[in-house]
Amino acid sequence: MNNTDIVKHGLKKRYAKEKRFQWYGRLAVLTGFVFLTLLLLDIIIKAMPAFQSTQILLDIPLDRETLELSTDATINKDTLSAINYDGLIKKSLSQLYPQVSKRNDRKQLYKLVSSGAEFSLREYIMKNPELISSNSEIPVLSIWLKADDDIDTFYKLQTKISRVSDRQVEFIDSLIQQQRIRTSFNTTFFTASDSREPEQAGIKGALLGSFWTLLVTLLISLPVGIGAAVYLEEFAPQNKITDFIEININNLAAVPSIVFGLLGLSVFINFFGMPRSVPLVGGLVLSLMTLPTIIISSRAAIKSVPPSIKEAALGIGASHMQTVFHHVLPLAMPGILTGTIIGMAQALGETAPLLMIGMVAFIVDVPGGVVDSATVLPVQIYLWSDSPERAFTALTAATILVLLAFLAIMNTLAIFLRKHFERRW
Amino acid sequence: MKKLVLAAAITTSLMTLQSQAAGRDTINIVGSSTVYPFATVVAEKFGKKTNFNTPKIESTGSGGGMKLFCAGVGLDTPDITNASRAIKKSEYDTCQKNGVTDITEVQIGYDGIAIANSIKAQNFSLTRKDLFLALAKKVPNPDGSKTLLENPYKTWKQVNSSLPDMEIEVIGPPPTSGTRDAFAELAMEGGCKEFNWIKAMKKTDKKAYKTVCHTVREDGPYIEAGENDNLIVQKLEKNPNALGIFGFSFLEQNDDKVQGSLVEGKSPEFATISDGSYPISRPLFFYVKNAHISSIPGMKEYLQEFTDEEAMGDDGYLLDKGLIPLSATDRSALRQSIIKGKKFTM
Amino acid sequence: MNSSALLLLITGLSVIAFITARQRAYIHGASSKLKSLPKHYGVLTALWSGIPALVLILSWMIFQPAYLHQQIIQSLPESITIKGEDSLSLYINTIDLAIANGEASDDPVIQKAILSFNDAEKKSRIILTILVLLLSLSGIIFGLTKKLLNSHARVGVEKVVKGFLALCSAVAIFTTVGIVLSVLFEALRFFESIPFTDFMFGTSWSPQTAIRSDQVGSSGSFGAIPLFVGTMLISAIAMLIAVPIGLLSAIYLSEYASARFRSIAKPALELLAGIPTVVYGFFAALSVAPFIRNVGESIGLSVASESALAAGIVMGVMIIPFVSSLSDDVITAVPQSMRDGSLGLGATKSETIKQVIIPAALPGIVGGVLLAASRAIGETMIVVMAAGMAAKMTANPLDAVTTVTVQIVTLLTGDQEFDSPKTLAAFALGLMLFLTTLILNVIALHIVRKYREQYE
Repeated sequence: MNNTDIVKHGLKKRYAKEKRFQWYGRLAVLTGFVFLTLLLLDIIIKAMPAFQSTQILLDIPLDRETLELSTDATINKDTLSAINYDGLIKKSLSQLYPQVSKRNDRKQLYKLVSSGAEFSLREYIMKNPELISSNSEIPVLSIWLKADDDIDTFYKLQTKISRVSDRQVEFIDSLIQQQRIRTSFNTTFFTASDSREPEQAGIKGALLGSFWTLLVTLLISLPVGIGAAVYLEEFAPQNKITDFIEININNLAAVPSIVFGLLGLSVFINFFGMPRSVPLVGGLVLSLMTLPTIIISSRAAIKSVPPSIKEAALGIGASHMQTVFHHVLPLAMPGILTGTIIGMAQALGETAPLLMIGMVAFIVDVPGGVVDSATVLPVQIYLWSDSPERAFTALTAATILVLLAFLAIMNTLAIFLRKHFERRW
Repeated sequence: MKKLVLAAAITTSLMTLQSQAAGRDTINIVGSSTVYPFATVVAEKFGKKTNFNTPKIESTGSGGGMKLFCAGVGLDTPDITNASRAIKKSEYDTCQKNGVTDITEVQIGYDGIAIANSIKAQNFSLTRKDLFLALAKKVPNPDGSKTLLENPYKTWKQVNSSLPDMEIEVIGPPPTSGTRDAFAELAMEGGCKEFNWIKAMKKTDKKAYKTVCHTVREDGPYIEAGENDNLIVQKLEKNPNALGIFGFSFLEQNDDKVQGSLVEGKSPEFATISDGSYPISRPLFFYVKNAHISSIPGMKEYLQEFTDEEAMGDDGYLLDKGLIPLSATDRSALRQSIIKGKKFTM
Repeated sequence: MNSSALLLLITGLSVIAFITARQRAYIHGASSKLKSLPKHYGVLTALWSGIPALVLILSWMIFQPAYLHQQIIQSLPESITIKGEDSLSLYINTIDLAIANGEASDDPVIQKAILSFNDAEKKSRIILTILVLLLSLSGIIFGLTKKLLNSHARVGVEKVVKGFLALCSAVAIFTTVGIVLSVLFEALRFFESIPFTDFMFGTSWSPQTAIRSDQVGSSGSFGAIPLFVGTMLISAIAMLIAVPIGLLSAIYLSEYASARFRSIAKPALELLAGIPTVVYGFFAALSVAPFIRNVGESIGLSVASESALAAGIVMGVMIIPFVSSLSDDVITAVPQSMRDGSLGLGATKSETIKQVIIPAALPGIVGGVLLAASRAIGETMIVVMAAGMAAKMTANPLDAVTTVTVQIVTLLTGDQEFDSPKTLAAFALGLMLFLTTLILNVIALHIVRKYREQYE
């Protein structure tokens, strides 16, 4: 047997091996995808109900007698806000079902409508005070108001849940017949802040909180991260201190995020006396957390710029600093930005360190700046997942979807940058 | 040119960072995650009804809340702390030391602790003694001698022949939780006391007595889960063999998935918990820093809102969220003490 | 003038400084030789005029509230100031709020305080504006002197920039020092009540100490070994999932897959790392754990309903992208010449990968795997939800275990008294975890350096 025979003999086996190896690879990628789809499907199915909300059409009588306004009273902010809107809603519900008289039945009837509905009604009337001033006939306002969360879940999912009583099911059936109940797109989810009533709760506050926090993170970690990467890659002398910095950075990349929370608590809040629960502190903590990621990827990007470019610049008399800032850095920018976006995405999804600095809180007012109390999206998810009300499950999943959408956008941006500015040498 | 743009960017960002040093006009509340769902409802209503800002409520746990609360009087300390247990002596001392001398204790109601399993399984009827024998680390020797041995029970039937022949598997809170603490004190100690010789130990060696009664077994049947009660409910749904220990409000919201076990013949319900016949329930509190009332706008009104009949009364909205109300006399006494700013001493 | 206007003013002055100094350098350069480009003189002058003024404004922004409050306190009658610092700060809050709302107060004391506040504020603003203007202008004037024109302006600018860069990289050291300091003291307090050796070498973790002082409870034991064993077990399971899947995916994507498929598949896999860990936690606890339990019971194994396996698998899925993305980058970076050489000798593609590319890329792959491992060690929420908190010394993946991070979170957010050993233990654990990862990293850096030299 000569050599060619030996090779030919083994060839079949080797090709089979090759095929098998390729299939291992395919299988691995596939496994990853299966997990991803499973997770996404799980979230999407749970989230769907949150984008719909159930509303009930009510006729609110707006004559002055019902409003308990004397005929000569002027309509202004004070008189309007003093009106008993809760009473108005109850009255109009009673008018729908005049036959309901037992106390317990009435209570169940009143519970059809969200306990926050009186505030929506108040807001509507305050915006349109002219509804009241017309005196010609008895004015009636037909308005769609949100249903209570249990009714909402029942109507949307069409399954029996124990918190909706048989009497309430009857009410709902008759509302359906009168076409007084409908589902519509849940805009509240995007326009409102946290609330303890699932049907009134939204993510606007958390979204803006995330925005301010990430803004601080970006403003700090991007310049500092690039600066550190440039220094370590280009200017740092080879000595123990540089080694120490390098080990430190690698180590910080591995430190559990909750430890950064402890750092933020003792340094920024206790030592510098910054307020709790503000995006400024959250952003500072998160930027310390994302810095290692940015530094490591920026260094890799700077390293990948071919030395020939640097040498050419140095050769025609540019200083080291000029070489770096005029040639190396612009060429490394796509890589740096990719790293930054990945770091930002990490910061966007982080909960644990914020636990320590008071951002796990119930905050209704939408933050208008970096020193207003705020919470962020992942914390909102964490808080809602721990709420007893059933309807929060859907809201939790929907918030996760929003968060994922932002992550996907950021990742796409990273890919776009990578693709359009990447150069091959 | 680029540098100009950069400079402009930095300037604008600095401008957004600039804060108006204008004092605080929002109430800051910290504390227990058990009281959080109730306090937030009140805060939200308060914010919508009045012109004051909605209070900020942090969920820090009772201990963390007390630490912040007792750190001193002043703007950067919280005005109110929620607690799922009464203040400890050592915490009270810290408060005194730091000048937080004038505080008022407000008991807002009770929280029942439910022991529940999936509705797909058989409903349990337990006694506190069953719970003690099933979950304690060391139990009295079944042969009747007055000695303790490592808990030998593996199934409920071994504990009490009237119980089903199922392995003991209880999902409950970790030792850092107030719920666990209350469970150990009310349920397990209650069962423990039924052994007369152990009860006698209370007088002779209190420490040993408490150790016997409060220590939960660690060999598997008691599973420490996180503080997320929703998760416990969902785990029970998936695992019909397990029992879970969690707050009453979660049982109430999920009574189509899980059923509360009877304890001493009573099922966990509003009526049985508030009249005390259901044995495992604990009081919930918050503590108010009276020195802040005059300086932080809205505090008085917030306290009024919380203690209003509309909130904590027999028909109040807090009941919808699962709070067990105080009796009517206790409520009016409470309102009096708030109006007077009754100083809490220990 | 308020501070944002002042900042604008400084920016404006710096721009003017830049333009005039550059202009002057041009003029000067026409007659004699300049040592740097005109724009460097401009930048240097701008820095001279801007930075001192900026520092002044920043320090003013920090110290001004304290100064103004001092002024208020001085205006208050002694009857109020004598009450002590804390109640004073509350009283000042009332005044602050009145000022912020622009209200006049009925209380003459407060009214007087408001007036003195306004007065002091006005004064301090005027002084600040004058000082800033002076500093800025003197910076410009200095920049226009002959002395500066004769110097190496570029070297000056570069020194400033280099200083800034060095400062940036020093942030890493500050952070480390900050972390150590922030956990060290509390950890030391913990070791006062629990001996260090008990903590380090104790094999029983059971913090069942009493929450209230009127309860006694058991003494509790704080041996950290079971926690570290649990952490290692779960991380090991996670790595067993993530390394093969991640590495094989990386190889497939970089060597076999078409460019188009790769451009879609890579970011899609990266999305796995972005899903909030709370979601994974729910997935592990409610889908994977019951599944494993059912499978285990059907073949007669006893499986804890909160098995380490469930948490480990899901955690493994989460860190797949760390392995795959980083390995992918490294494998792509292996020079094409090495592939061509191997293929040219007649090796099949898989042989090339196994015998040439992987060894060449190994240091980078090891780096990625280590990063993934440290993620696994530091991960919290999945384990909180799926693995429970039973601190057991076991290597059985079907048993329930707990990890260091889980304990840190539960200890810190619990209902117990904050100064009890129970809470302080969290800080000791944090310190231990920090030191552990530090040692791991020193070793990793050492290994990576040693191997890297062979292939470059």
